[in-house]
Amino acid sequence: MLEVHDLHASYGKVEVLRGVSLKVGDGEIVGLLGRNGVGKTTTLKAIMGLVRASAGRATFDGVDLTGLAAHKVPAQGIGYVPQGRGIFPNLTVEENLFLGLRQVPSAKQRALVFDRFPQLKDRMDQKGGTLSGGEQQQLAIARCLVMQPKLIILDEPTEGIMPILIKEIRSEIRKINRAGVSILLVEQNLVTAFKICSSIYLMEKGAIVHRSSAADLKTQPDVVHRYLGMAA
Amino acid sequence: MKERINRSVLLTVLALLLAAPWLLPAVGFDYWLDILAEILIWSLFAASVNLLFGYVGLLSFGQALFFGMGMFGVAIGVAKLGLGFWPALGLGMVVAVATAAVAGALAVRLTWHYFAIITVVFSLIFYFIALSAKPLTGGDDGTSFSMPPMLTLGESELSLTDQTVQYLFILLVVGFAFFVKYLIVRSPFGMALMAVRENDVRASLIGLNVYFLRWIAFVVAGGFAGLAGCLFALFGRYASATYMFYHVSGEGVVWTIVGGAGTLFGPAIGAALLIVVREELSNMWEHYPILVGIVVILTVIFAPKGLMGMWNALLDRLASPSADGTKKDEGPREAIETAVAPVKGEAGP
Repeated sequence: MLEVHDLHASYGKVEVLRGVSLKVGDGEIVGLLGRNGVGKTTTLKAIMGLVRASAGRATFDGVDLTGLAAHKVPAQGIGYVPQGRGIFPNLTVEENLFLGLRQVPSAKQRALVFDRFPQLKDRMDQKGGTLSGGEQQQLAIARCLVMQPKLIILDEPTEGIMPILIKEIRSEIRKINRAGVSILLVEQNLVTAFKICSSIYLMEKGAIVHRSSAADLKTQPDVVHRYLGMAA
Repeated sequence: MKERINRSVLLTVLALLLAAPWLLPAVGFDYWLDILAEILIWSLFAASVNLLFGYVGLLSFGQALFFGMGMFGVAIGVAKLGLGFWPALGLGMVVAVATAAVAGALAVRLTWHYFAIITVVFSLIFYFIALSAKPLTGGDDGTSFSMPPMLTLGESELSLTDQTVQYLFILLVVGFAFFVKYLIVRSPFGMALMAVRENDVRASLIGLNVYFLRWIAFVVAGGFAGLAGCLFALFGRYASATYMFYHVSGEGVVWTIVGGAGTLFGPAIGAALLIVVREELSNMWEHYPILVGIVVILTVIFAPKGLMGMWNALLDRLASPSADGTKKDEGPREAIETAVAPVKGEAGP
């Protein structure tokens, strides 16, 4: 499905990605973990066409994403929920949800959202910015689902969310995955990553330094401590 | 309730506008029919500024260029090419839209102040070209023409030389243009424009082609400005490079801000108010623009969403949650229309 091979990217003269390679297979939930500033978000941005890769490739179902403009990437079947939700706060929930469709949403597309996030149905006329953090996150994920992606990339979906809602977000991600959507998850919350990811990549200084299954990583506290600075 | 009130006000204003050719002479204000026609034309021009600024987040000081192109298209069409009414009007539109398409292809690559500056530059370039191309444009003197008939049926002609016909024609065209703008901003395309205004990076991440959307909006806005220019040329039987200068664009920006950017009728209200102020005060006090400046400063400070924003806020307050906590009435569209303040984000306008 998604294959990133030896991806390099720079901000000006500063090389931020130094040969990132990772894979997300069909139906997988893959975690990308690392300390702040190691290049996790830049990796996602490079995949989504927001940051130009200076070398290497990212392919999705055989299509080279590296040279694609950002607006052409979602059409390949990739949804992206950026850090901080990325909703449009001055547009209503309904508008946020169906913006990317460029047509009146079908009953199936509406059902896709409301079956999973029924609470959004009651907030259709409310402005996105007036929702709680958890609801905004749900809205951002729901907006991705409307596009019926094969892969959803989530950048720190639990950041700034009330602890009580984190479990709910986790459960939603699992349900989406069970419906056949692969997930690439960037996460600081180790518990979330361990609970839902099948495999985990650790990043440091713009490169992947470790890859293992979530279960294996749990048994390697020294690795977790070395690259994430916290206990497993 | 809010929608009901707005609909009632709109219908009342429309009825008054339609009745104006008979009402104004009846109360001894014949002269005001021409001013009303001028207000309608400048409202359309302000709507063009507003489409870019209020709905896409692009502040253009170059809309006068397309206004001038529309004017010259009509004037040159009639005076130099001997075209009739409708072909000249068509020529004005084609020239304005084509200029907008070319200028927009370059301008919408930029945002923020860079976009504003390049629109000023385009405006200046064409202003000086129009001044120097004297054989075609008349240079400093501009181009005058005689009004060709709009419709000829045997011996009788329908022409804009009749003040009432002229006013009703302008009202019809401007009304139609506002209806088109209404359809645009409520369409999925309009939604996409607002998403671009809010945050262009986020918009691209949901598959919206930000450059293309901005370009289309620029061309459509150029078309509105061009149409206003065509009408103004027909209204004055004259075209002049003066109207291509960026201070004309600046007036459009001021009307839009005072009336309320991102609202359908706000810029028309701003244009109406400030043109009436000009008409009433310019004879009494030559420094009346100082007053306009004060109005703009006060609006920006105390009513950043303009007069329409204030009006919407008032209606919102009337329809605010009642004692039992239920909302009486609230349309999603009004919420958007009042929410024109760009989002502070990584790529907001």
